Amino acid sequence: MGMTITEKIIAHAAGKERVKVGDFVQANVDKLYIKDLRFSKKEDARGLYGVLLEVLRSMGADRVWDAKKIVTNLDEQPARTDRRAEGQEMARKFAREQGSILYEGEEGGIGHNVMVEHGHVKPGEFIVGGDSHTCTYGALGAFATGIGFTETIGVLATGKIWLKVPPAIRFELRGRPGPCVVGKDIVLWVARKIGYEGAINRTLEYTGAGIEALSVESRLTMCNMAVEMIAVNAIIPPDDRAMTYIREVSDGDSKSYRSDSDSEYEQSHAVDLSRIDPQVAAPEYPSNAHPVGDFRGFKIHQGFIGTCTNGRIEDLRMAAKILRGRKIQPGVRLIITPASFLAYRLAEKEGLMEIFRQANATVTSSECGLCVRPSLAAGEVCISSGNRNYRGRMGPKESSVFLSNAATVAASAVTGAIADPREFL
Amino acid sequence: MPGLIIRGRIWKFGDSIDNGNIDGVMEGVEPEFKSKVAPGDILVAGKFFGMGASDEHAPRSLQQAGIAAVVADSISNIYQRTLINIGLPAMECPDISSIVEEGDRVEIDFISGQVRNLSNGQSRSGDRLPGLALDILQRGGLISYLKEEFSGKKTPARG
Repeated sequence: MGMTITEKIIAHAAGKERVKVGDFVQANVDKLYIKDLRFSKKEDARGLYGVLLEVLRSMGADRVWDAKKIVTNLDEQPARTDRRAEGQEMARKFAREQGSILYEGEEGGIGHNVMVEHGHVKPGEFIVGGDSHTCTYGALGAFATGIGFTETIGVLATGKIWLKVPPAIRFELRGRPGPCVVGKDIVLWVARKIGYEGAINRTLEYTGAGIEALSVESRLTMCNMAVEMIAVNAIIPPDDRAMTYIREVSDGDSKSYRSDSDSEYEQSHAVDLSRIDPQVAAPEYPSNAHPVGDFRGFKIHQGFIGTCTNGRIEDLRMAAKILRGRKIQPGVRLIITPASFLAYRLAEKEGLMEIFRQANATVTSSECGLCVRPSLAAGEVCISSGNRNYRGRMGPKESSVFLSNAATVAASAVTGAIADPREFL
Repeated sequence: MPGLIIRGRIWKFGDSIDNGNIDGVMEGVEPEFKSKVAPGDILVAGKFFGMGASDEHAPRSLQQAGIAAVVADSISNIYQRTLINIGLPAMECPDISSIVEEGDRVEIDFISGQVRNLSNGQSRSGDRLPGLALDILQRGGLISYLKEEFSGKKTPARG
């Protein structure tokens, strides 16, 4: 029996010849990502760094396992809460004292985008992160999963983590997506297919000839939302397009794996990309996805383009294509939050920001933004390019959130109601 | 191994309880629960326990309320790891919620993986934890495990 790409990466990280589903292993971590909020004192009154120093001292040490493998990022700039400010102060102190990497200012944005754009994610790596959307990195052929507060301290001290090898679910993609169909529509379709809990403690693997037609941005979105199906990780075997991107952003030194033809899958699904319409997920679960036409005309108050799911340059370009020469509906607001300052500056250079201004959209600093901060009043409806639409996610429990790709958000903001972006091309 | 065979009264919860609803000792599901639960009690849940965000505030609230163990039909990966790492024994045991009623007494053997309902005699096999997780639990969690395991040993796990 062969091994899947996920099993191969875990085996390599655990120093084993082979592993199989259900094995418990101890793996060596290649990269650790920590967000600013994890350094606050919310989860433990001593703070993450305080507990870590206690652990290190009892080991007779004062340094983390490997400072150059640790990346921290400020997910909100400027900090708007006491907790965030406290976390950022401690993140800076940690980076300064331990010599680890910290991104802020013009180099910053949302941590997951910064990790990818600055070349910290490479094929074959075993990556863990103190945030549930760490699974995004699987788009470049890495194993990546989120970990909690205490486990982050364990990795900082020892560089190791224990885990159980997950069973795999395969989606075999073929065909080419139609206009205004991107990774977001594919992953919402997948969530609808297997359900919001459909990948619990499993790995999601996307394979097949259909992958080639998908941009790196689309792939990042598809892996990002794996945690919305409670997956451990999602992964796409790297092809030429992925390797070209990796060489552009990093030193390119990496080891890529792919699944053996006789590897075992708990489920396999075939997907014809040409048959997927732009999708919209109705409030409360990302898996409440339907073709956009089913919700056409549903009144909205706010559009939001941003987040680690869909705030990248591809999303900004899609939105600009719809907004060029148009204005958003009076009484409706459209908030655009580029996922990183790199994407922000590129959008400026390409003239997209001028289009957004002319359309009367509001462009904000690059950060997690409205995905983690209330912006809706009771009874208001938002259509968002983000990943979570649970009740009360963007405001009081009486507000609601639809999820879609960035073009659908833009078309809906122009219309004042959910609209099919293909009618605006 | 002492401390890994746990007996107690159970409180039973349903499926798909997410991190936000667990916060504040299951406040989002049953606000009065925190005044009813007693130290040593066991929490039994259905499928998909602990889905959603990875914030550790919520699982710690269960521990502070004195919950001695968590058993569920299934537990999200990140949540089970977190519970074990904070020193609260947690095991997946498919079908467990079908053999217990609220108020039953159960015995959970975390070494063998057996869960027995002492009130009606039924039992089920859970998903046994690896030796390392049992070691972590016996030391009261990952932090004390690390402090003791590597006490005085510089650069514990390089290479």
